[in-house]
Amino acid sequence: MEWNPETLQTLSQCFLQTLSPSPEPRRRAEAFLADAADKPNYGLVVLRLVAEPSVDDQIRHAAAVNFKNHLRARWAPAPPNPRSSSSSSSSSSVVAAAPTLPAIIDSEKEQIKGLIVGLMLFCGSKIQSQLSEALVVIGKHDFPKAWPALLPELVSSLSNAKDYASINGILGTANSIFKKFRFQFKTNDLLLDLKYCLDGFAAPLLEVFLRTAAQIDSIGGSISTPVGNLKPLIEAQRLCCRIFYSLNFQELPEYFEDHMKEWMTEFLKYLGGVYPALEQSGGDGLTVVDELRSAVCENISLYMEKNEEEFQGYLKDFVPVVCTLLVGASASSSRERLVITAIKFLTTVSTSVHHTLFASNEVLQQFCQNIVIPNVRLRDEDEELFEMNYVEFIRRDIEGSDLDTRRRIACELLKGIATHYRDQVTNMVGLQINNMLASFAMNPAANWKDKDCAIYLVVSLATKKAGGSSVSTDLVDVESFFGSVIVPELKSQGVNSFPMLKAGSLKFFTMFRTQISKQVAIQLLPDVVRFIAAESNVVHSYAASCIEKLLLVKEEGGRPRYTSSDIAPFLEMLMNNLFNAFKFPESEENPYVMKCIMRVLGVAEISAAVATPCVNGLTFILNEVCKNPKNPIFNHYLFEAVACLVRRACERDISLLRIFEESLFPVIQIILTNDVTEFWPYAFQLLAQLVELSRPPINPAYMQVFQLLLVPDSWKRSANTPALVRLLQAYLKKVPHELNREGRLSQVLGIFNTLVSSPSTEDLGFYVLNTVVENLGHDVISPYVGHIWSALFTRLQTHRTVKFAKSLVIYMSLFLVKHGSAALADSINAVQPNLFVTILEQFWIPNLKLIAGAVEFKLTSVASIRLLCESPVLLDPSASVLWGKMLDSTVTLVSRPEEDRVEEEPEMPDIGENVSYTATFVHLHNAGRKDEDPVKEIKNVKEFLVRSLAKLASLSPGKYPSIINQSLEQANQEALLQLCGMYSCAIV
Amino acid sequence: MADEGFASHRRDPVKSSVGNAAANRRRQLAVTVGKERREALFRAKRLCRDAIVGSDGEVVEDKEMVIDEGAVALNSRTNEAVEELKAACLYQGKGAVQKKVQALQNLRRILSNSDVPPVEACVEAGAVPILTQCLSFGSPDEQLLEAAWCLTNIAAGKPDQTKSLLPALPLLIAHVGDKCTLAVAEQCTWALGNVAGEGEDMRNILLAQGALPPLARMMLSNKGSTARTAAWALSNLIKGPDPKAANELIRIDGVLGAIVRHLGKADEELATEVAWVAVYLSALSNTAIDMLLKSEVVPILVERLETSNHLQLLIPVLRSLGNLVAGNSQMTYTIVAPEINIAERIILTLAKCLKSELRVLKKEAAWVLSNIGAGSLAHKQLIYSSEAVPLLLQLLSTAPFDIRKEVAYALGNLCVAPADGPGQPKVILEHLISLVHRGCLSGFVNLVRSADVEAAKLGLQFLELVMRGMPNGEGPKLVEKEDGIDAMERFQFHENEDLRNMANGLVDKYFGEDYGLDE
Repeated sequence: MEWNPETLQTLSQCFLQTLSPSPEPRRRAEAFLADAADKPNYGLVVLRLVAEPSVDDQIRHAAAVNFKNHLRARWAPAPPNPRSSSSSSSSSSVVAAAPTLPAIIDSEKEQIKGLIVGLMLFCGSKIQSQLSEALVVIGKHDFPKAWPALLPELVSSLSNAKDYASINGILGTANSIFKKFRFQFKTNDLLLDLKYCLDGFAAPLLEVFLRTAAQIDSIGGSISTPVGNLKPLIEAQRLCCRIFYSLNFQELPEYFEDHMKEWMTEFLKYLGGVYPALEQSGGDGLTVVDELRSAVCENISLYMEKNEEEFQGYLKDFVPVVCTLLVGASASSSRERLVITAIKFLTTVSTSVHHTLFASNEVLQQFCQNIVIPNVRLRDEDEELFEMNYVEFIRRDIEGSDLDTRRRIACELLKGIATHYRDQVTNMVGLQINNMLASFAMNPAANWKDKDCAIYLVVSLATKKAGGSSVSTDLVDVESFFGSVIVPELKSQGVNSFPMLKAGSLKFFTMFRTQISKQVAIQLLPDVVRFIAAESNVVHSYAASCIEKLLLVKEEGGRPRYTSSDIAPFLEMLMNNLFNAFKFPESEENPYVMKCIMRVLGVAEISAAVATPCVNGLTFILNEVCKNPKNPIFNHYLFEAVACLVRRACERDISLLRIFEESLFPVIQIILTNDVTEFWPYAFQLLAQLVELSRPPINPAYMQVFQLLLVPDSWKRSANTPALVRLLQAYLKKVPHELNREGRLSQVLGIFNTLVSSPSTEDLGFYVLNTVVENLGHDVISPYVGHIWSALFTRLQTHRTVKFAKSLVIYMSLFLVKHGSAALADSINAVQPNLFVTILEQFWIPNLKLIAGAVEFKLTSVASIRLLCESPVLLDPSASVLWGKMLDSTVTLVSRPEEDRVEEEPEMPDIGENVSYTATFVHLHNAGRKDEDPVKEIKNVKEFLVRSLAKLASLSPGKYPSIINQSLEQANQEALLQLCGMYSCAIV
Repeated sequence: MADEGFASHRRDPVKSSVGNAAANRRRQLAVTVGKERREALFRAKRLCRDAIVGSDGEVVEDKEMVIDEGAVALNSRTNEAVEELKAACLYQGKGAVQKKVQALQNLRRILSNSDVPPVEACVEAGAVPILTQCLSFGSPDEQLLEAAWCLTNIAAGKPDQTKSLLPALPLLIAHVGDKCTLAVAEQCTWALGNVAGEGEDMRNILLAQGALPPLARMMLSNKGSTARTAAWALSNLIKGPDPKAANELIRIDGVLGAIVRHLGKADEELATEVAWVAVYLSALSNTAIDMLLKSEVVPILVERLETSNHLQLLIPVLRSLGNLVAGNSQMTYTIVAPEINIAERIILTLAKCLKSELRVLKKEAAWVLSNIGAGSLAHKQLIYSSEAVPLLLQLLSTAPFDIRKEVAYALGNLCVAPADGPGQPKVILEHLISLVHRGCLSGFVNLVRSADVEAAKLGLQFLELVMRGMPNGEGPKLVEKEDGIDAMERFQFHENEDLRNMANGLVDKYFGEDYGLDE
């Protein structure tokens, strides 16, 4: 693409049309641009257009956005995904291979790199920010090594820049580029890059920082300073501070250590100073200053944490200033970010070697009253969130994403101080809690937030325990606090009054559930059930969650504390309330409620009276979510609940199966015919469950679905495969004869053949094959065995990977234990005479010791031992060397722990676990089936080994000890001897 | 389908158990961003105030008072001196040599006796080309000496001033050769040392111009000051991060012997400089590590450690020792074999350092211990039963962050054993149980909360070890009691992907919800 007036005209027109409200011209323009993007120098031309002052601003802006996205996609396009590329070779592939975009050519890249900094500084702020992002995209790949000109260019622009629009543009860009030094592990490469940046940028950064500081000093204190003059200066300082953070993250650089005083002097000013013109200007003035202060707080926290020795001289100045700042900010309702970063700094100090700064009671008192309590108290924003966005409220309140909220961070400060002054903190907070409860008692309606604050403190300061509960706290006596503070709320008649207090109380109950005695809890359960009908989304979610978690509580020894009889009295109300909760706005797909349904179905006694309304309710929801699956967590619990219902109900009364089939078949049909791909694995698992439960004659509807199993495309979606294997197993068990009709078996084996011939799907191919061999008799499969071997050995000739060989050994072992060693050897030799020995020598023996996984280990051990003791090929006197090698490898396998034998393979495949022939994937627990051990009859492999050998040896005494001496590694000889001793056997 | 929401249930297992990382010995990273502590002594560049004592023992120059005068006056005096030197160089008449030397002496006095040497004025007046001219071959020794001295002090200035020596470098290097008197050679060495101290660019230029071999020969000298200056210059020159120079240096005939000799017999000042050479050699070059280990250097370092109280010497000695032990070669463990008493002596002296008031000693000692502790089971047992352990435990709960981190590596390493063959290292139960019961867990939980990503990773790895290794499933309960769950949950949204996966994986694995009821 060339830069000329014509191109300029066309592209301008196009970008204008991409903004068009009518879809027709917009799509046409977008298509045109997408095509043009493939041409060389497209990016360069667009960049020139962005820089063209004669073009309309809105067009230039659209072009800048397009340029940025173009770079994102094509500066360094990701290499194609190996799996999708391999499956794209077959035309019927379901997995659409992502198209690989051609990368921008090198000469164009160089030109773009040469132009972008200058253009960025020259543009208005909206375009500038787009170009800055584009620059960061380039920097991510090229900086510093492949873009040596950038840093010097930024530095010289910085020193030449006259106005703060440009300065802030450069600083913003530098800030984005240097962010890569944060949060990374230290390596020589990273440090080399960092050193390069420090050498080039540390001094100019300080220079601009001090220059700006001097200007702020001269105009910042005056109320009459125009906001427009001061704001960019403050913004510049903030950017300097963020760059400071990046450059100092790994370790304290020499330059910064030498100039610490300059930095800290200014830092202190910004925390202690006020900038009335800006702060009182309304608008975002205060926020802008607070952002600078937050950035300073993050920097001094970093120094405090990592460079305390060099920083300690400044500490005494900073602590009082931060405290004063915090007391002011804590009283205000906004300023969240500042409060959080400032408290974090104090927390870091409190846990450091300088904790004695906080030792006095007065300091503690001040912290508690003026910083902690005001920040823990509910604010308008919290109430708003509670009402408007319950999902986010819950995420912060109980799911740990509250790390950056003032409530949580204030408690962190208390915890920090408590590391050295536990008793003082406990006393002080205990006192505060009592005061707040007393104030609530005086006027509950007006002072309910005091009570909320007290509850929050108790929950937050307790030590966390597994599964989101708390262990005891020394702040209060849990039982008595529960009785006097929480129970009255739970007993309260109005489920909709003071919802935040109710939520807090339910949370308390949930968190301390293991410590509340069963006797007390049981009596409150009906009350909790009432709250499932509360209008507040948070309250009914917490009520559902509370019951769900209570049902998981276990006594010492693992027995569940609550059983079906405990919930039987109110089961009907419970289920009603739960299903009704989905009718509340925003709770249509409430995962807490669905999870509770699942849990209750797992515990309760499922009679027909319970099962029927449940299956109807769940089917209704299933039908709904099939239209637009959007909440994977909810959907998972939904399917889990269905599977659980089927399992538990049929355990009690198999006649209910008919009802389930009638309700569920239509939904499964919808999932399969409407191609709701998200649900296919679930549908297959449910089907498998139903097939296994059903009794012959099998419902004809199942056989229709069976056809789906025979379509190779179904198998190509890796997420389906384990479910399909599971389903195939179910069919093979229930109706093996069906498989042998109408050429279905050969179709299944065709699927195996397709899957096994590509590295990315070969383990799926083995899944299929293993399932067939495991479930069908020799007579059924024998006509196909020759083809199977040919397919495998052909593949083996071109694809000798360890992974494939291991899968092959596992398969051969399975074949052996199912059909005998003679059948194995004969069928292999039928492909080519004496092939079996070759296979043993080249693949079985060397790969045996690499087998991992409990089931696989046992299977291959037993198969190997049986070969040693019954295979004529191996027992032939001429094969004694081979026999010895086989034994050596077998002893290695049997006697050494897996981690000593198996080296981690760096190139692990991306599907499942490579050697596991049983599926491991997100399966439905309730529709699940245990991994079957194909050699159940053998309990102990080691014992089986020595007993079999002893028996074999006793038939020809004197033969084997010498072979063992010659062929076994010393360590293996010793191991074998030890095993003989252990089971009192002798190899004579 | 539910893949996305439930990815957590099939996260990769924590592949890097504490063993993998903690049992790794850590050499000092070759790239330094932070201040090297040795520069507290004005290490990298040094002003030459006093004259070098000539090889014949004769004092070449008398000492003078440090001149303290206004900058303006000083600058104008500097200008005059340079002009005078230029004139002297042009002068061809009688006593020309004497005149030149006098002019040089004058300039040199200004540069070495002023409180703040007027290097900038001197360079601006064009001193470097004229001084370079004074270095030309065949010039009298006195003239060479004075010119080199001037250049030395110019090179001790700011980066640009140091770099202005570029045209003089070939001659300075040439005069380090053996044709000159020792005093001249030593002065030139000093100047080159300053240039090398400037940074990587200048080091590369010096190396390209062949500065390394002559400087190395200077270090072989038995004259203390010569060897010291040369060692210092070499330590500047081989700093890396490119290991090429270090590899080259150790292969030069006699260098290894000189290092051993000086470290063993020399006064503490010379030993300090040579020890720094050993630090860089052992940090950068595997060849050097092998050769140093085969020599007698380890016992010599240990003896220094036992007998010296000189911090400036102890730091490079500890660091060399740590690097040598971290060399990861089988040989290390034959030389520091637990059976012979050297290992015991090292551990004893390290324990002494841990008790020191000086935090840098504590930190270095803990680091060396962590490297020894990464060795064989016998080494771990030796440390475990030494007096170092109570000290380490105490430091883990009370020391400043940087020391705590090193201490944590040391303690963590005591709890994992190298595997016999390939595969995962094993937990040493006896050590783990005892250390945990002596209260080390809270220290590691604190590290998990740290903002430092390495420390956090180490903390997580130790927690994993505790949860996996402690008998009777006690581990998770202990971690829970120390509020470890809360500490790990902080990583739920952390920006470092490794840490996030590790922490989330651990919480899932050990504290994940009981999915089913009938299991």
